[in-house]
Amino acid sequence: MRNPIAGREYAMHFLLVPRRRLQQYSRNSFSITRELENMSRNKLISLSEAVRRYTWDGMQYASGAALPVGSDAIVFGRELLRQKRRNLHSIFHCNTQQLNLLAAAGATTHAECGFTGLEVFGFANGLRRAVESGDLALEDYSNLAMALRLLGGALRLPFVPATVNIGSDLQHRSAFAPDEYPAADKIPAVTDPFSGRTIGALRSLEPDLAAIHVTLADPAGNAIMLGTEWSRYELSRAAKRVVLIADAIVDDACIRQYPNLVRIPDIIVEAVVYWPFGAWPQGSPGMYDVDEEHMKAMNTALATVAGTEAYIDSFVEPYADIDTYLDLIGRDKVAALSQTSTGFLLDPYRQWIKPHAEVLSLIAESTLETAQ
Amino acid sequence: MSVAQTLPCTRQEMMAIATGREIRDGELAIFGVGLSMLAGYFAQAHHAPNVRAMTEGGIYGAEPVGGLPWGIECNRISSNATSFTSCLDALGCLVASGRCDVGIIGAAQVDRFGNVNTTGIWDGEDGHIGDSYRLPKTRLTGAGGANDIACGAKRYVIMLNHEPKRFVNKVSYVTSPGYLDGGDARDRHGFIGGGPAAIITTLGILRPDPVTREFRLDAWFPFSSVEEILGNTGWDLKVSPDAHVVPEPTPSELAALRRVDATGMLRRS
Repeated sequence: MRNPIAGREYAMHFLLVPRRRLQQYSRNSFSITRELENMSRNKLISLSEAVRRYTWDGMQYASGAALPVGSDAIVFGRELLRQKRRNLHSIFHCNTQQLNLLAAAGATTHAECGFTGLEVFGFANGLRRAVESGDLALEDYSNLAMALRLLGGALRLPFVPATVNIGSDLQHRSAFAPDEYPAADKIPAVTDPFSGRTIGALRSLEPDLAAIHVTLADPAGNAIMLGTEWSRYELSRAAKRVVLIADAIVDDACIRQYPNLVRIPDIIVEAVVYWPFGAWPQGSPGMYDVDEEHMKAMNTALATVAGTEAYIDSFVEPYADIDTYLDLIGRDKVAALSQTSTGFLLDPYRQWIKPHAEVLSLIAESTLETAQ
Repeated sequence: MSVAQTLPCTRQEMMAIATGREIRDGELAIFGVGLSMLAGYFAQAHHAPNVRAMTEGGIYGAEPVGGLPWGIECNRISSNATSFTSCLDALGCLVASGRCDVGIIGAAQVDRFGNVNTTGIWDGEDGHIGDSYRLPKTRLTGAGGANDIACGAKRYVIMLNHEPKRFVNKVSYVTSPGYLDGGDARDRHGFIGGGPAAIITTLGILRPDPVTREFRLDAWFPFSSVEEILGNTGWDLKVSPDAHVVPEPTPSELAALRRVDATGMLRRS
């Protein structure tokens, strides 16, 4: 296994250098200062480099903290498959088409989830097939339990007391310890020291990486999410490292205009991937609607091994960059899905959205992209 | 006993209207994904205009636009919200806290004590899993927020199609707790919520016996009958002494439901 985060300590060190120190450096070497300032403000990175740099086989990988039809970093999962990542332990608050795809392709052996369907699109066929065959051990919790476990990880608490999931088979049955019944270590009973009541202890989560889809981010990694944030706030603090996948990149001035809305600040973000329609075929409020046709076609394909291979050949492998990805979705469809009734939610921010070409230039000059 | 008759609506529409009638004006209410969301927003559109509606996605104050939302967070429920928050807020601060008056959840299977299974179907005798957790024959959708609603909401309504395979004596897997083994079994866990108030189906309404908490037949629909309901229930269903026929949908109820169900999800069967 290669070192997954080469250069990280170096980068983090300079992020912590106070600005006054930077000015002192500048008296010594102008070029170093420029490099340092660039490193601290421009964390843009290409999708392929982000996956190369921050993921590895067997890691505990979290995505989404989004809902099955909503804002999830699905394109990050496509890239995981392109780079042949295996044996992932997936932390998905809810199943999405990303987990459905990873499960269908056999790339994940363990998963912990609160909900494993596709809402009105029905059962997640790829995940279902992997669970029924035994290829994927799926540990079940409820939605609130997953949020609490992420909150526990965010606070680095060893466990979170819970008044939900107790007394049901979510507590008594464990796919990770199938021979224990009732399961002793999944949601152990603990006593409230104040009232004496017996409640449950939920194990906190600290995944190795969270790939989090956001609507808007600046190059430094300050993010604004339109629509429900579901559990992206908690996940961003729980994960050991955070990579954002943003539909659009905005100027720093946008962030300074709406600091109350920046629920994921740059100080906890490693890198920012710019990828329009990164949640496709799911929807991103303010940006684009759910692609009903592709949601159904994808789920149908993932029901079989042959269908999954065909899907990967058609929708995971072919594109080379953002433009060819959007071509693959279909430019007419991109335009139609962008005509969303939620579009007004984006209006306050539109003036700060950077043009496509400018963002590509910023990625090219980012030290995360060029430093190997 | 009633004689089956035809209505100007589908069985699923009758189920949604009967469920919506359980929602009272001004209540703090949480609606699950799919048909239960239509039932809840029907109530808001018809007789409960001041219901404080939320989805577990943390979307408050919204009404569906363009038909049944694909999910509890999608564009169709995000076009006119008054607040977007989070799972922790909706299911935690507003439901697990005990503030929520009523929830509506779906089910794949339900048993005589109102326990819900949405996790999987196991083969073998009575679908009993056994001492080792083994692979399900059919994997379902898991708990979602239903377990949290079942533990925390003051009361909740279970909504599902009435078929023998769905109405079993004991569910294989308790995903969301009803009255567990019956009686005061919920008290063992100190749940803040009161448990399921009704099971509303495509054939009628079941409500719990106040002491044993076993569900009994409370009402049938104008197009169904006691016999049909007993024949589609996998346990020895008792009939409440007060059992009655449910009033058929009024024209204004049906009009309100169909405004919410713009894409006709409830008219497909």
